[in-house]
Amino acid sequence: MLEKIFSGGKLEKKVIENIKNHIKTLCLAAECFKNAIITGNKEQIYCVIDLERDADSIRREIISMIYEGAFLPFLRPSICRFIEIVDEAFDTVEDAAFEFRYLNFEVYKTIESECIKIASVNSNMCELLLIAFESLLTKGDLREKNLAIRIYEKQVDDIKFEITEKLRKAEITNFWDGKIISDFVSYLTKVSDLIEDASDYLYTIEVSLR
Amino acid sequence: MPTKVKEIMNTKLETIRPEATVYEAIEKLIDKRIRSLLVLPKDEKDTYGVVTVRDIVYKVIAKNLNPQKIKVEEISSKPVISIDKETELEHLIRLMEKFNIARVFIHNGREIVGVVALLDVLAASLIERARRG
Repeated sequence: MLEKIFSGGKLEKKVIENIKNHIKTLCLAAECFKNAIITGNKEQIYCVIDLERDADSIRREIISMIYEGAFLPFLRPSICRFIEIVDEAFDTVEDAAFEFRYLNFEVYKTIESECIKIASVNSNMCELLLIAFESLLTKGDLREKNLAIRIYEKQVDDIKFEITEKLRKAEITNFWDGKIISDFVSYLTKVSDLIEDASDYLYTIEVSLR
Repeated sequence: MPTKVKEIMNTKLETIRPEATVYEAIEKLIDKRIRSLLVLPKDEKDTYGVVTVRDIVYKVIAKNLNPQKIKVEEISSKPVISIDKETELEHLIRLMEKFNIARVFIHNGREIVGVVALLDVLAASLIERARRG
């Protein structure tokens, strides 16, 4: 759909390709984060930080191309906002990765399986966001993808409730242990919220193009 | 690759002893906001059962019986309908339709390891459809 409207301008094509790369990089980061917490390997988590740097440069390139004149003016703010939300999701994965390195594993063990489930759902959501973006270009059923993303988000909400229940019962005597695990869970569960926001934004763009 | 039930099952199983009272079952169902409980086997030769809100309402409340005097084993269904964790989603849907049931327990060997409800099936089907692109 987008491609038809933009009549295949070179700059537009480049931006679309870069947006795809941006989301793909987010998928890689979510996957890498998931693998690191499955293995419990704190060193493995550094891949998220590296990927975030790559994503940052892709984002800068996209924004500057839009400022150079890619897309019709009425579409530019929506596209920029979409990129920003994806970038926020990236920052949140990075924040979760950062906190993971400082977790007290004794406390973390009580919620480990739930955290792995969330990381896995986050990774699936990233893949769906990419599929959703592609369907915006190919006139696929974006509404269907948006619904699937909302289902995933609901699953994360349910798991978050279980984690909170468990953490309330956990005996935490050190302030930093408590703060770090609380922040880690907040960041981990916020990723799905942001991906849902990004998907909603895609849907809004699609509706505005009808 | 078709979705397997192990990918969508809920592994948080709430159980109850067969000799517990229906009142205890009601407390558990309300506290946990769920609709069924897995009834544990009495011994090694026994099988798992299930007690649902429907059983309690129709077999106890509707008949004006005292839930504190009736044991779970008296109203539970046994054995539970269960399928292997490697079963495909499509087969699960056919089974639910055939037996007109809202949830199916999942086993791994002899042990019950999870449960899948209709809403889980709906969610999984929609996700699968969206993933196809």
